[in-house]
Amino acid sequence: MAVASLALFLLAGCATKHTVVLVPDPDGHTGKAEVTTGGGKQVLERPNDVTRVSGSSAPPSPVTTADPGFIASTFADALAIEPLPPEKFILFFETGKTELTQDSQKTVAPMLEAIKRRGAITIAVSGHTDTSGTAQINEKLAYDRADLVKELLLQNGVDPQRVTVSSHGKGNPLVPTPDGVAEPRNRRVEVIIR
Amino acid sequence: MKTFAWGLLLTFLAVSPSYALPADEIGHIHTLRGTASVTRGTLSVPATVGAPLYCGDLVRTGESGSVGLVLTDDTTISLGPNSELCLNEYAFNPKEGRFSLVVRMVKGTFVYLSGLIAKLAQDAVQLLIPDATIGIRGTKLLIHVEE
Repeated sequence: MAVASLALFLLAGCATKHTVVLVPDPDGHTGKAEVTTGGGKQVLERPNDVTRVSGSSAPPSPVTTADPGFIASTFADALAIEPLPPEKFILFFETGKTELTQDSQKTVAPMLEAIKRRGAITIAVSGHTDTSGTAQINEKLAYDRADLVKELLLQNGVDPQRVTVSSHGKGNPLVPTPDGVAEPRNRRVEVIIR
Repeated sequence: MKTFAWGLLLTFLAVSPSYALPADEIGHIHTLRGTASVTRGTLSVPATVGAPLYCGDLVRTGESGSVGLVLTDDTTISLGPNSELCLNEYAFNPKEGRFSLVVRMVKGTFVYLSGLIAKLAQDAVQLLIPDATIGIRGTKLLIHVEE
């Protein structure tokens, strides 16, 4: 019985092969991955590096370069359904206020257009301030800025269930500064559309 | 009466944290072609664009189905036809420095694109395929798991 199940196990191990291919990120950079079985390990680190796994006790196969034809035929459907990368808009504010700068008012229309075009599933709105003023005041100001942008979205027909609002206060500046610096580029709301 | 109210409150306090944890959305279905389903516990429902995903969800695609998922850390995973994966473990909590993503790929074809968890914490991401474990250092992978 034990021999029979071992034989079956070995047979199954030989019959199936699992493939892992490393490909470049959307920004062109190629990362790194390690494939480990009970029998050994292979490291993928160059574009289209591929290794195959057959059984838990055998090491993954030596790394080769994947054939583009194999990639296209095996992964066509999974690649075609890949979600779009997130899109980010940044709106800037007048100092100490929940009032958009004149320039940033022009960002509103393309932002709404992107939400509509993509059929956005989630819209993350985060409020930020520069480092002038207390943490407590900035926490609230950042939230109020984000809330204003949320209201702007809702007035334009965006589904409130899709929108989340958060405040980062002065804790997450776009341009790092010492405390107490009025930096216009840090007085902002970031909108990430997914 | 007073005791009863306290009892209720205590029951609520005792019970609510266990509700709060699994109820956290960890991502959404963003793209869909053909048929796919999400199994949560014993309940299986057809996948729809915009539907939330939770830890422990099992995602399956039909014979001509394909589906794209985005998790809250921007990890993106898409499944080709006849594929199945389980979102085993997920923690994305930058404030407390807790990061973890474990996905079990049971069968089919997958495209995995790492998000912030892989960027912020080394060794926090594990993709499990039959007979092997894939460790990630911020990257994009194509994975084929034969049945």
